[in-house]
Amino acid sequence: MTEVQLLQTIGLSVVGLGGAILLFVKARFVRVVAFVSIVLGGFTLVALSIPQMASLPPGVEKFDVASIKDKKELASIGQKIFFGKGQCALCHTIGTGEGRCPDLKGIGSKLTRDFMYESLTQPQAYVYKDYEHVGPAKFFPAKMPYINKKPIGLSKNEILAVIAFLQNMSGEEVTVELSEIEVPGSAGSASRRGVL
Amino acid sequence: MGPHTSHRRSDNRQARQAGAVVPATRVWAYAALVFMLFTVAAPLGLAWGQEAPAGPATEYRDILPGVVGSRNLIWIIAQQHLLLAGFVLGVPIFAWVCEIVGVRTGDPRYDTLAKEFTKLLTSAYATTALFGGILLFLLIGLYPKLMSYLTDVFFPSFLVYCVLFLLETVTLYLYWYGWDSMQGATKGFHLFLGFLLNVFAFFIMIVPNSWATFQASPVVITEGSMWARAWAATWNPTWWPVNVHRLIANVVLGGFICGAYAGLKYLMAQSKEERVHYDWMGYVGNFIGVFGMLPLPFAGYWLMREVYQYNQQMGITLMGGFLSWLFILQAMLIGILFLGANYYFWLGIMYRIPGSEAKYRKPILAMLVILLICLGVWMTPHSLVASLEEARKMGGTHHPMLGVLGVMSAKMTVVNVMILVTFMSFVMYWRAGKQETATWAKAAKVGQGLILGIATVVILVLGVWGYFVPAITRINYFSTTQVLVMLFVLLTITPLTALVLKSAKTTTEMVWGIMPPRAAYALVLNAVMVILLMTLMGYARSSSRVHWHVYGVMQDTSPYAYSPALGYAAAFMSLNTFLFCLMVAFIFWVASLGGEKKGGAPGKARVKEAVRPAVAGAR
Repeated sequence: MTEVQLLQTIGLSVVGLGGAILLFVKARFVRVVAFVSIVLGGFTLVALSIPQMASLPPGVEKFDVASIKDKKELASIGQKIFFGKGQCALCHTIGTGEGRCPDLKGIGSKLTRDFMYESLTQPQAYVYKDYEHVGPAKFFPAKMPYINKKPIGLSKNEILAVIAFLQNMSGEEVTVELSEIEVPGSAGSASRRGVL
Repeated sequence: MGPHTSHRRSDNRQARQAGAVVPATRVWAYAALVFMLFTVAAPLGLAWGQEAPAGPATEYRDILPGVVGSRNLIWIIAQQHLLLAGFVLGVPIFAWVCEIVGVRTGDPRYDTLAKEFTKLLTSAYATTALFGGILLFLLIGLYPKLMSYLTDVFFPSFLVYCVLFLLETVTLYLYWYGWDSMQGATKGFHLFLGFLLNVFAFFIMIVPNSWATFQASPVVITEGSMWARAWAATWNPTWWPVNVHRLIANVVLGGFICGAYAGLKYLMAQSKEERVHYDWMGYVGNFIGVFGMLPLPFAGYWLMREVYQYNQQMGITLMGGFLSWLFILQAMLIGILFLGANYYFWLGIMYRIPGSEAKYRKPILAMLVILLICLGVWMTPHSLVASLEEARKMGGTHHPMLGVLGVMSAKMTVVNVMILVTFMSFVMYWRAGKQETATWAKAAKVGQGLILGIATVVILVLGVWGYFVPAITRINYFSTTQVLVMLFVLLTITPLTALVLKSAKTTTEMVWGIMPPRAAYALVLNAVMVILLMTLMGYARSSSRVHWHVYGVMQDTSPYAYSPALGYAAAFMSLNTFLFCLMVAFIFWVASLGGEKKGGAPGKARVKEAVRPAVAGAR
C-alpha cells in the first residue's frame, strides 16, 4: 500500500465513521464533531486526488570532469543543470515562447559567449534593459537572479556547461573549451580531475 | 530587615510553638524544588568540571524518525501555536468592537457578548503561551544551528517581545477583572484598556511575523549595531504584507469562531432564551467574519506581489510551480466559505423574517447560480491533469476552452463578483421586512441598481480585456481598478441603504431562535474553512522557501529538507484543524465552568432585549 493509498483509506474511514455517527447518534456535540470530521476527511480526499508533487532539494549531481570526452558531453551536462540545479526552466522557455522571461530558442547564435556569461553572473548589467517591457514602466522589475550566487549558486564550471548547452541547442559551435573547466581547489590548472 | 519580615518570623515561631505541622503540599513543593535544583545543577556542575567535547556543533536533532520526525512535530506544535495566537489576537478585536457597539447603541447584549468572549482570553492566552514555550524548546533542541543564527540576528526583538508580553498580560488582567467595576462613568477607561490590549496584541503579532518573514525574504546586513541589524532584518520586504494579511485574517477567525461557538450552543440549547441568544450571537459572528473576509483577498494579492518583487523564482514556485495546485484547493475552501456565509444570510431571510421567502426566492437562486459559476471559474486549473494521449488531443495540458478560465484575469474577475454577491446578500438581509417611507427611496434604489450594474459590467469588461494586454498592465492597472470599483460599490451602497432604512417602516418583526439546525452547521463549516485556509496558506508560505531555512542564506541540510506533496500535507492540515477545534471547544468549556453569573449566560433580561435593533441588518 502506497502512502497515498494509506491516506485515502484513512480519509474514507473518517468520512464513513462521521456519516455513521450523523445517522445513528443523537448527542449533538458528537454530531458536530462528526460533521467536522467529514469536512476534514473530504478535504484530505480532494487534496489526495490532485497531482502529488513533492519539492525535493536539488540533487548534488557530481560530474567527473576527467571523464568528459568532448564538448557534446559537456553540453549534455549543461542541459541537466539547466533543467535541474540551475532552475533556468522555471522562468525561461525554449521555443514555446510563453514564459515570463525571454525565450531562449537560438540564444546561442544571438549572443556571444561572454555576453551570456555576463548575463548569468551580472544579470542587471545590460540584459534587463534589452528585455524591457514595451508600454508603461513596470511597477517592479522581474529581475533575473545572480546565477553564481545563492540561492542558486552555480559554480564557474557549471555556468560554462550551461553556456555549452545553450550554444549546442542553438546549432552553434560550442566555444567552451574543455581545458577551461577548472579542477576544484586548483584554479587555473589545465588538468581536468575532480567534479564540476 | 523590616518589620514585615520580623512579623513573619514571629508567626513561624508561634506556629512551631503551637506544634503546627507543615502542610503536605508544601513538603512536596520543597521536595520538587530540591529535585529540580539537583537535576539542573548536576549537569551544570559536570559541565563546569570538564572541557566541552570537541567536534562540530550539533545542527539537527531528531525525534522518532520514521514515526513522527522533528519536522512533523514542529509542524503540529507551530500550527497549534499560530492558530491559538490568531484566536487570542482576533478575539480582543472582536470583543472590543462589540463593546463599542454596545456603548454606542445602548444594547446590553453586545457588552455581554464582549465579556463572554473576553472571559475566554485568560485560558486561551495561557494555552497559547504554553504552546509557544513548547515550540521554543523544541526549536532550540531540534534545530540548534538555525535558532542560534536567528538569535544572533533578532536578539533585540526577543527583548521587545518579552516587554510586550508583560504589558499585554497586565492590560488583559485589568481589562477582564475590571469589567464589572469599570461600568458607567469609568466605561470610557475600560474601552481605552481594550484599545491598549489590541495595540499590544498587534505588536505581539508583528514581532514574530518579522522572524517568519525574514526566513522567506531575508535582509542581512553585517555592519551596524545589534539593534540596527535586527531592525534591517525586521523590516524585510514581506513583513508588512504579512502583518496586514494576518491582522485581517485574525478578525475573520475571531468572527467565525464566535459564529461556530454560537452554532454549537444553539444546537445544544435547552431553552428558548438560549436559542434566541445564540441565534443572535451566530449572526453577529458571521457578520464580523464576512466583513473581515471582504478585503482579505486583496491583502493576499499584495503579499504575492511583494513576493514576486522580492524574488521571481519564489513567486513562480508558489503560483506556477509545484505549489500551483495548492491555489485550486485554496479557491475551493474560499468558495465554500463564501457559499456558507451567503447560505447563512439566506436562511436568515427565510426563517427570521416570516413572509420573505416568496419575495426573495428568485434573487437567492440567481445569486447561488452566480456564486457557483464563479467558484467553477476560480477552481479551474491553468493546466489539467491529463494522460499523454489526452494532452496530445488537447494540443498541450491547457484545455482549449477551460484553459482560458485558468488564468489570473478570469480569477480576479470572479473573486470581485463573488464579493459583490456576498455584499448584496447582506444588503438584501438588511432590507428584508422593511418598507421605505422616504420620498426619494425609489430614486435611491434605482441609483443603487445602476451603481451595482455598471460596476459589474466594468469588472467583467476589465476581466476580458485583461487577456489582450501585457500581464504587467493587467496586474498594475486592470486588477487594481477592479478592486477599486468593487470598493466603490461597498462604500456607496452601504451608507445609501442606511439612509433609506433610517426612516423605513418595519413590516415584519425579526424573530430570533427559530433557525433550522443546518444554519448552525453552516456556521461551524465556515469556521472550519477559515482554520483550514490558515493551515493551507501556512504550508504554502513555508514551502515557498523550498530547501532553505533562511532563503538564500541558510540551507536546510536535514533529512527533512523537502516539502511534502499536497495530499500528505492536507492530512496534516486536517489533523491540525481537528486538534485546534477540540482545543477551542475545551477552552470554551473550561471558561463556562466559571459560572454563568460571571461570564454572563443568556437570561430573561436579555431575551427582552432580543427584539431591539442590533448591528446593521441584525435588527
